[in-house]
Amino acid sequence: MEFDLKTIEALAPDQASLSAASKLTKRSNWPRLEKNEALALMWGECQGSGSNPYRVVVDTGDHGYKCTCPSRKFPCKHSLALMWIAATVPTSFTPADSTPEWVNDWLGRRRKTTPPSTQQASGAGGKSIGEAARTDESTEVEDTAAVERREAAQRKRAEETRSSVSAALDEMDQWISDQLRLGLAGFVDNSGDRCRRIAARLVDMKATALAGRLDEIPSRLMSLRSEERPDAAIRELGKLVLLAKAWRAAPDDPEMKRLVSTSETREQVLASPHAVQVESAWEVLGEKIETRRDGLVSHSTWLLDIRSAAPQFALLLDYFPASAGRRSNAFTPGDRFDARLIFYPSRQPLRALVMDRKGKVSSGEWPAVASSETDPLATHLFCQDAAPWLTDCPVMLPPGAILLDDRGAPWWQAAGDPNGIALPINEAVSPTLLGIDLAATVALWNGSRLDLLAARSSFGRLDLS
Amino acid sequence: MNELEQIGLAAMRDCWITGGTSFDLAPVAWQQIAGGSDPDEKERRLLVIAAQALEIALRPAAPSTLKRRPPLPALALPMLPAQLRPLVRAALKQAADTRGKVRVVALVASHGLVLHPMDWMPAASDQDSPDVYAPWVDWQAGVEGQSHISQDRLTAQNWHDFYPAARRTALAEMRRREPASARLLIETKGSGEPAEIRLALIQLMHFGLGPDDVPFLKGLSADRSGKVRELAGRLLARLGQHGLPGEGGGEDPVTELAAFISAGKSGFIRRRTTYTPVKPKSPAQDQRRAELFGTCNLVDLATRFGVGETEFIAGWQFGADNNADIFFARMVAASGSDGAVAQMADTLVAEGGKPALFVLQLMPRLDTGRKQALIRLILKDAAYLASLSLLEAAEAGWVEWGDLGQVLQALRPAVGGSDDAARRTADNVLEMLGFLATSATAKRLIDEMVTAGMPPAAPSLGLLRLNAALAEYQSESRK
Repeated sequence: MEFDLKTIEALAPDQASLSAASKLTKRSNWPRLEKNEALALMWGECQGSGSNPYRVVVDTGDHGYKCTCPSRKFPCKHSLALMWIAATVPTSFTPADSTPEWVNDWLGRRRKTTPPSTQQASGAGGKSIGEAARTDESTEVEDTAAVERREAAQRKRAEETRSSVSAALDEMDQWISDQLRLGLAGFVDNSGDRCRRIAARLVDMKATALAGRLDEIPSRLMSLRSEERPDAAIRELGKLVLLAKAWRAAPDDPEMKRLVSTSETREQVLASPHAVQVESAWEVLGEKIETRRDGLVSHSTWLLDIRSAAPQFALLLDYFPASAGRRSNAFTPGDRFDARLIFYPSRQPLRALVMDRKGKVSSGEWPAVASSETDPLATHLFCQDAAPWLTDCPVMLPPGAILLDDRGAPWWQAAGDPNGIALPINEAVSPTLLGIDLAATVALWNGSRLDLLAARSSFGRLDLS
Repeated sequence: MNELEQIGLAAMRDCWITGGTSFDLAPVAWQQIAGGSDPDEKERRLLVIAAQALEIALRPAAPSTLKRRPPLPALALPMLPAQLRPLVRAALKQAADTRGKVRVVALVASHGLVLHPMDWMPAASDQDSPDVYAPWVDWQAGVEGQSHISQDRLTAQNWHDFYPAARRTALAEMRRREPASARLLIETKGSGEPAEIRLALIQLMHFGLGPDDVPFLKGLSADRSGKVRELAGRLLARLGQHGLPGEGGGEDPVTELAAFISAGKSGFIRRRTTYTPVKPKSPAQDQRRAELFGTCNLVDLATRFGVGETEFIAGWQFGADNNADIFFARMVAASGSDGAVAQMADTLVAEGGKPALFVLQLMPRLDTGRKQALIRLILKDAAYLASLSLLEAAEAGWVEWGDLGQVLQALRPAVGGSDDAARRTADNVLEMLGFLATSATAKRLIDEMVTAGMPPAAPSLGLLRLNAALAEYQSESRK
């Protein structure tokens, strides 16, 4: 059963969804559009506002659909847009013999439903494709005075935000001084409440990103042993003071705005002349999915440039509400693909967006770790020189192994290292890993612990995230 | 960071922990950077300097007693290619229990490959996974003091150079080729081992068990371990030898068990003796009967009725009492001679029907031909398909498309229908067929099930997909 526009009208939850979908029907939004007629399936990847593309699959037989976006409208605008393309430009879909693994996963989980009746399909309930298309086409022509008024209002809002953030930073500075005066022992013990209160103030005063970071301090402290917490508290609070000073020195700097108030949109990053673009082959090292105290889930996907001579990393970072449930991942650890990435402007570019994802790459080795490097954390020190407010830094460690201390806690140690340098690991590791020599390991160093992502060994690639 | 700065940092840290102003405790160089502002700002500036000093100049102190595990040994077979690992992981995830996981491992091993250690590792106590994994079993057991795996032939001299699982594998192989040499080794070295290991060694005697083993097994009647004595008695029974003397006291268990069986006659022209289980009068009696079947040997029971093993099996009335039939089949599997086991399997498979399913209890002792005959019999009757999940010690990759006629008729409506119970049974059957089928059959069966309405990515097709992919990989790598 193919799609017609009436069916799409009937499936759409409201007129707004149809209007939003109409804007996504441009081919450029869809780096991938494929179909398998035998299985009555079509699927695609739509580049949404996040770092990862949304994956959409539609069953043309019974009009079942699934999208990885966090929208609570069903079907979402991405699913509607895919159906719309199928109805209007079916040649956009490349025939595929096999279905991708994520489509298979959905097929394996779903329960087939009966296709909606034609009566139901014919009742569009006041929604109109024509109107949606017209809304899209009709761009209102503003007069010069209106443009000036709008820009003046934007400038005024920006000025208000800046003064509000400035006041927020003053309040945070005072709060940090209070913590030092009252004692960090008490702060560590009550960090949950204390951080929550100041974070709420910062949100009110538009320093949202900084509030999110403050909110995470208690869990970062609690992941350490009690004797390590005061030092960690000094590091965390000291970095906040430093960040506040850096913002005051350059409040319009995109990196400072991102770290203190709000992040740029995808469009702003794409339009930024300072954003570095790198076209290369990338390997997905691993993912970290963490639920934050502010109710958001942060989904980090770490990539490694496998064509670079020295280790170069990229981070695809998305946030979505925890209430949206678990999202399926756009990448699988170990995947390798050619892509052009654009990095958010930064002193230490790391966070990136996929501009253009191409085909899969099968060959390519990890860059060699400099054997002359005596300090496995040299990359971290370099990162700190450039951006001392950063907390987590990806590092590629030289040959080594995982060992256990007397308490059973794991440590990474360099192979044959006469200095006995060892770095503690954040979480328990698989017992099997204790017997495997690691030729190279990629991990995140947060100043206290390693968070393992992946490693190479005589047993091949090891997923450790 | 110099020593003065370190001392200053430690003092500032202590001050901040309890609360207070640390400016006067800071190193002079730091005071100069932080000075010239209000007291709060001074403290915050010092906090920034201290934070960066802690971040880059100090590292967590590594304990002096970090322990390294011995390197995980490489196995004798090549590793499964990376592109097939997701299929293996999916199949392992779908396997409900250890037995199901071992089936996945055995299927991969039947294609001459081993799993990645991060996907699956045998347990330290594992005795069911393919022999190629013995070095990993030993590594899991964490044997200390042995730093190498001997590739030499096992002898009394190099006995301790072998880890227990590697030793077990070497001994099993030796029992198949040179049973007398292996027995001599077990006799010489086994007595010095703890009871648990002694028991595992005596279990290996069932490979190539023969009359020459009788004196050694009889010698075990004085073993310190009751389990070893019991096992030796079972092995002797398989050789037609009567049981070892009991522990003493109480009624003779064989006589007690015989009381639960009634001998009778049947047939008008050719009169023959029949042995029918007597229905127990209470759950306690049923329980006692089960215990007696578990401890008595077939040869002793048959002798008690004045016949040999084969006559006793021929006269047993299958179908009269389901529980008794199962206990009896287990008894034959544990203590029957090879001839008795084969006779029972052949008779029941030839007769077919439900009693043939009792042969499932004998599986570990059947040869390949008899195992396959039983499985083909089960595949022919849709009513018994569910019993496939009880299969033990089956071999991978031999069921052909032609063997599946009845199975397909049963599976098609089940996978496409809405009856959850039927679908669950179909899932179990498909999982078992993923192990038993040839790769070509597996591939065809996936297509057939998808056509019948099953989602292509259904987890229960996991083992079939792996089976088909293994063959494709091998044919591509041969090109």
